[in-house]
Amino acid sequence: MAAAWLPFARAAAIGWVPIANTPMPDIPRRTSEGNMNSRVIINISGRMFETWRYSLEKYPDTLLGSNEKEFFYDEEKDEYFFDRDPEFFRHILTFYRTGHMHFPRSECISAFDEELSFFGILPEIIGDCCYEDYRDRKRDNSDRVADEKSSEVEDTVLPSTFRGKVFRAFENPQSSTMALVIYYVTGFFIAVSVIANVTETVHCDPFPGKTSAVPCGERYEKGFFILDTACVMIFTMEYLARLWAADDRCKFMRSVMSVIDVVAILPYYVGLFVTGDELTGMFVTLRVFRVFRIFKFSRHSQGLRILGYTLKSCASELGFLLFSLTMAIIIFATIMYYAEKSDTNTVFISIPAAFWYTIVTMTTLGYGDMVPTTILGKIVGGMCSLCGVLVIALPVPVIVSNFSRIYHQSQRTDKRKAQRTARLARIKLAKNASGTAFVARKKEAERLAQSGCSQEEIQNKISSYETQHHHLLACLENATNREFVETEYTYNGIPFARTLTPQHDTPHSLSNSPTDNTTQEFQGNTICCNRSGKRYMQANTEDGTELNEIHIRQPNRTRADLNTNNPRGNCTPMVTTTIVTLSTPTSPLDSDSIHSRHSAYSTHSAHSSNSEGDAYDNSCIMRVSAL
Amino acid sequence: MAAAAAATQVGAALKKNKKKKKGAEEGEQGVDDNELEDMDLSAARYKPEGLDELCKTTKFNKQELQVMYRGFKAECPTGVVNEETFKSIYSQFFPHGDSSQYAHYVFNSFDTDHNGSITFEEFISGLSILSRGTVVEKLNWAFMLYDINGDGSITKEEMLDIVTSIYDMMGKYSQPSVDELSPKDHVDKVFRKLDLNRDGVVTIDEFLESCRQDETISLSMQVFDTIL
Repeated sequence: MAAAWLPFARAAAIGWVPIANTPMPDIPRRTSEGNMNSRVIINISGRMFETWRYSLEKYPDTLLGSNEKEFFYDEEKDEYFFDRDPEFFRHILTFYRTGHMHFPRSECISAFDEELSFFGILPEIIGDCCYEDYRDRKRDNSDRVADEKSSEVEDTVLPSTFRGKVFRAFENPQSSTMALVIYYVTGFFIAVSVIANVTETVHCDPFPGKTSAVPCGERYEKGFFILDTACVMIFTMEYLARLWAADDRCKFMRSVMSVIDVVAILPYYVGLFVTGDELTGMFVTLRVFRVFRIFKFSRHSQGLRILGYTLKSCASELGFLLFSLTMAIIIFATIMYYAEKSDTNTVFISIPAAFWYTIVTMTTLGYGDMVPTTILGKIVGGMCSLCGVLVIALPVPVIVSNFSRIYHQSQRTDKRKAQRTARLARIKLAKNASGTAFVARKKEAERLAQSGCSQEEIQNKISSYETQHHHLLACLENATNREFVETEYTYNGIPFARTLTPQHDTPHSLSNSPTDNTTQEFQGNTICCNRSGKRYMQANTEDGTELNEIHIRQPNRTRADLNTNNPRGNCTPMVTTTIVTLSTPTSPLDSDSIHSRHSAYSTHSAHSSNSEGDAYDNSCIMRVSAL
Repeated sequence: MAAAAAATQVGAALKKNKKKKKGAEEGEQGVDDNELEDMDLSAARYKPEGLDELCKTTKFNKQELQVMYRGFKAECPTGVVNEETFKSIYSQFFPHGDSSQYAHYVFNSFDTDHNGSITFEEFISGLSILSRGTVVEKLNWAFMLYDINGDGSITKEEMLDIVTSIYDMMGKYSQPSVDELSPKDHVDKVFRKLDLNRDGVVTIDEFLESCRQDETISLSMQVFDTIL
């Protein structure tokens, strides 16, 4: 598709001509016919797909775009046969056609990933329209896998230490009988404690010899005290045991459940230590806190935990609801107060006093302890109750569903905003990668042209489209007197331009490094530098043991290399996949020993010690290091 | 009171929906719907002339026209290219830099009737001139490209814009790297060469004359033909 626009792009380049200082480079003429009209037949498990050859070659990094597809070529029928799922291949072909990969919603994500990796396509190129869906499904899938794994692990991996066992017993009641016992015992005591708190206040028979009924708590004070003590002792022991068994004590102490535990047992201890008169006022408050023991049940009940979590997550919406209600209350209370002011005996002595009336009226409770007496007041009161009905009763279901919808929407928006930077980075990365690939191919072609291969061989390796595209870029370089620079990727994926000047002084140890090459580097020459300037093979001046980091050109040199690798005579392009092992370093680092250094493990190695001594694998960035 | 507030809110929301439909206010969406409808109706009716006639009017042969139309239609199914699509296509060829500004200028030069879209005929006729035309025709086109406001003369600012956009296409990773002053210097040099009577603007005659004298330019013009 873009190939058809290439002539246009080249024609538009005429605009650069007037500003160029030097004549534009000539385009190598091709002898053979262009292959713009040739089609390719792909047979996927019996279903035939046909497409233009050039549209496949647009992505030389993938299986179909590179020479790797030759492995699947069937000569008799002149087609490429793959034994894969034809349904999926439709989407793969769409990618070649349009440049966007769409994720089919009806398909399974892991099958999709498998297909993508078979055909050598990165998932990052999934189009924006489908990317969110893909990511969500992928996350669900990985969550599912992780859950499965973790539950497996839980069952199989038994904690070895006693401490681990105790922790596990506390967390998971089903894990052992001991855990179950703890679970039920604590539950029982929580219930007992709560019931005791409640019945303490019920009125019992009066003391013998007295007439008035007293709360049972005072009647049987000793009994209740013993009960309370027992419960608190159990709770304390449980808390201390949990604290000891926890892996991360600080984190445990900050968790909600432990706070509840502490709050539940603290009143008792405070009551023990603080005695006397000051106790009575505080005592009441402390007693109240004992009711929080009921929250300890949330360890026993999942539903309670979920409720708490829901409330927490809806906190902002609930807060807003409360705020708007408060506004309405204040408004009505104010109006009521001023309406009733004319009556001297009025109940509405102040605006805060009117709050109570407003709340009772708006929620349609209507206790009747406060009623307006003036006519204006009654009108306002009527309006208030009508508004109350509307404000509270009607919108509540609407608000509830709205909250749910808005909440999810804002979550999605926030997620998208948070991912926006990631998305932009992703786009940038993809663009950079493709840009790098282009420039790399271009440099490759230049090297090939200069290495003196025959025209035919060059034409076989590089398509007509690519030649003309490279020519276009070369003309741009000419017009601006600049040159494209190959970029590298460091380990964190950030590209940077190679510096042409070596970072250490070209050491004396590079004994026969031709000095003219280095001076050329410093002059910042153009083409020559690309060939020899990229020598980073420097060693420290020590015994050559420590060398610098490895820079391996990251766009994995698999498929695109297959296109250029051609172990035929002198036309071996300087491409290797190097896994560099450091042989025992010997002293003078002349170029030969440098070659022996990277005892490259590669299928097509171009140990070009055949040709000039210094024409090396300079497409691999070489900083050899001790692996 | 609050109920009244709630009621007015609901009413406002309803009104908003209506407005959206009419495409007056809020609606970028509303406006887009209308525009899209219009555009789709008119664009769907676009068809180019027949293959034979195009062969006659341009310097391309049948096969080349076929290939080019297929690519054209694949990229723009409606049959016309608008500027956004044009920029995105153009940027595919210059992966490192930012080619949108240069693409904008080129688009304007191809869009002869200035209606914001290029039809296949405009495309192919422009292309025919550029790749297969004479040197003078090509120079004429280059002049039109440089003359952004179309007043018949190129000022230094116009040239600076063009040159900056060309430098933008190189992108960050170039050696030596592009900085603020490089376009300016370049423009000074070129302008000195082109502006024969030193009046600060370059007219079409000056342009043609100085380019004709310059050998490199005449040679370079031949290089841009494409074989498909």
